Amino acid sequence: METTASPGRKAAAAGAFAALVFVPVLFFSSLIAGREISRLYALAWALFTAGTAYAIASTGRVSFYRRIFFSASALAFLVHFKLSLLNKVFEPSCFADTPFCHIAMAPYFLNYLYQQYLALMSGGWKLWGPLSLGAAWLFVTISIGRGWCAWACFYGGIDDGLSALPRRPLLKLGRWALKARELPAALLVFMMLVSLAYMLPVYCLWLCPFKLTGAFLDQEGCLKGAQYGLMFFALAALVLGPLLTKKRLFCSFLCPFAAWQAFWGRLNPFRISIDERNCTGCRSCATACPMSAISCAPGGKAEILAYCNLCGQCLEACPGRCHKYTVFGLELPALKGNMGRLVSAEHFFVFSALTVGAVFASLWAPAALRDVVKLWGAP
Amino acid sequence: MPALFSEGFLLGLSTGFYCLSACLPLLAPYLMAEGKAVWEFNFHIFLQFLGGRFLAYMLFALLASLAGKAGQYALPLWLLPASMAACGLLMVFFAAARVSGGRGPCLLKKDLNPFFKRLPVALGFVTGISICPPFAAGFIRLLEMADVLKGFAYFGGFFGATSLFISPVLLGTPWLGSRANEIGRLTLLIAGLWYTVLGLKGLLV
Repeated sequence: METTASPGRKAAAAGAFAALVFVPVLFFSSLIAGREISRLYALAWALFTAGTAYAIASTGRVSFYRRIFFSASALAFLVHFKLSLLNKVFEPSCFADTPFCHIAMAPYFLNYLYQQYLALMSGGWKLWGPLSLGAAWLFVTISIGRGWCAWACFYGGIDDGLSALPRRPLLKLGRWALKARELPAALLVFMMLVSLAYMLPVYCLWLCPFKLTGAFLDQEGCLKGAQYGLMFFALAALVLGPLLTKKRLFCSFLCPFAAWQAFWGRLNPFRISIDERNCTGCRSCATACPMSAISCAPGGKAEILAYCNLCGQCLEACPGRCHKYTVFGLELPALKGNMGRLVSAEHFFVFSALTVGAVFASLWAPAALRDVVKLWGAP
Repeated sequence: MPALFSEGFLLGLSTGFYCLSACLPLLAPYLMAEGKAVWEFNFHIFLQFLGGRFLAYMLFALLASLAGKAGQYALPLWLLPASMAACGLLMVFFAAARVSGGRGPCLLKKDLNPFFKRLPVALGFVTGISICPPFAAGFIRLLEMADVLKGFAYFGGFFGATSLFISPVLLGTPWLGSRANEIGRLTLLIAGLWYTVLGLKGLLV
């Protein structure tokens, strides 16, 4: 990011950028949350998002402020939705029913296709529901692609936030991280095929750590025990894994949706590219990458893998500033002036990612704020 | 005989989707792991897989007809889990030892005996003996008929129709690269473990 502008002009440009983010987030947040709760909560959420945008634009620290926003969004989801399952103080408001989990979408893709076929043949149009979800997914994929996993996923925020807590990793994954890097893709293929074969939500039954219940597991003792075992294994990968390794273990190695987005994310034009001429092969970026998505290419240069979720951590870690956001690997032409510096791939991407992430989080973040206010006894 | 072939063919057509969903977790990972960006090569693997499956079907046609003749109208309870466990163990072996139809396992670093290069045949065979609901329906019909030649005709028709449903698996294979091979190998390992555990559970519990 340009650093030669005067502080006042830089602040003005950052303010303009924050305003650009604030307007759509306030509009959609008011629309979504305002159906059931005061629009003041939507305003608070939009201000928080705009504050994040301002901090990123004024400091150039994309990942640091992204992580605060992302973790706050995930925490709000936990407060509002998960705790509402346990306590009536946290009444689910914006969720009339259990929200549809996007992670489940990928492993059941073949089942959806089969449902669409049945709906088409039987005229049961109500079964076409997944198509609207598919349209939402397509919009998200085209606008932020793999960035979903670092900016919007309400589960990824937990993993990401926890991975930032330890100063140093207690366990180093080393070369095993890259050896097992294709595991989520393999899990995705396996779950798609087995879910179709058994007509069962195999991911939800066997691996999902977020269900936090055994209510819909198999009733047979042996199978139920195995399902609990895998659930706790995945929960440990989600909670303990990042604390021990500083890596997003669940998102990197177990989440089928991460693999799904890694495949389809190429529809999105934004990339993180490396200036190979200046790369010294120090591997600082690979060490810092929470997704283990940077490998060492032949010749010692860093190479971004398909699993990169555009979090921006490598931008801050690289001592030579070799990493940058690009559009299909190309930089946008530099424009002069205070506002001209906003016309960069980085700002375009951060705008898209923050807006999509914040609008999606409007389903629960304003309501979570309401829950907290209610809990403290405020009117 | 043609009427019985048609009957088996129709049974296969009406239940082919279930055959597809039952065979896909075995065949698709194997094709991903072994396939190349050459359509003919993948088609060759597919044909070998079908060959193994055909052998299994004919073996079952023979056994079912003989069992029908002997008045034995029930399958042994251990047969389904045992075939599932065998199938799973074979898949785990292919994946974990990196055994390939084209080259030797990396553990040995030498050429494989040609016998082991018939891996898709073996996989097709163990898939064929893993009984799925449509297969069981055909099997019961064979027990009733209790005639070996009629059994071959019936299961031949059934095999032909269900193979039509499985063949679209080839559509995505011309784009296979080394990354897809690695994903396929890991998928084969996971699917193998899954079937092994389910099979052993059926045998032991």
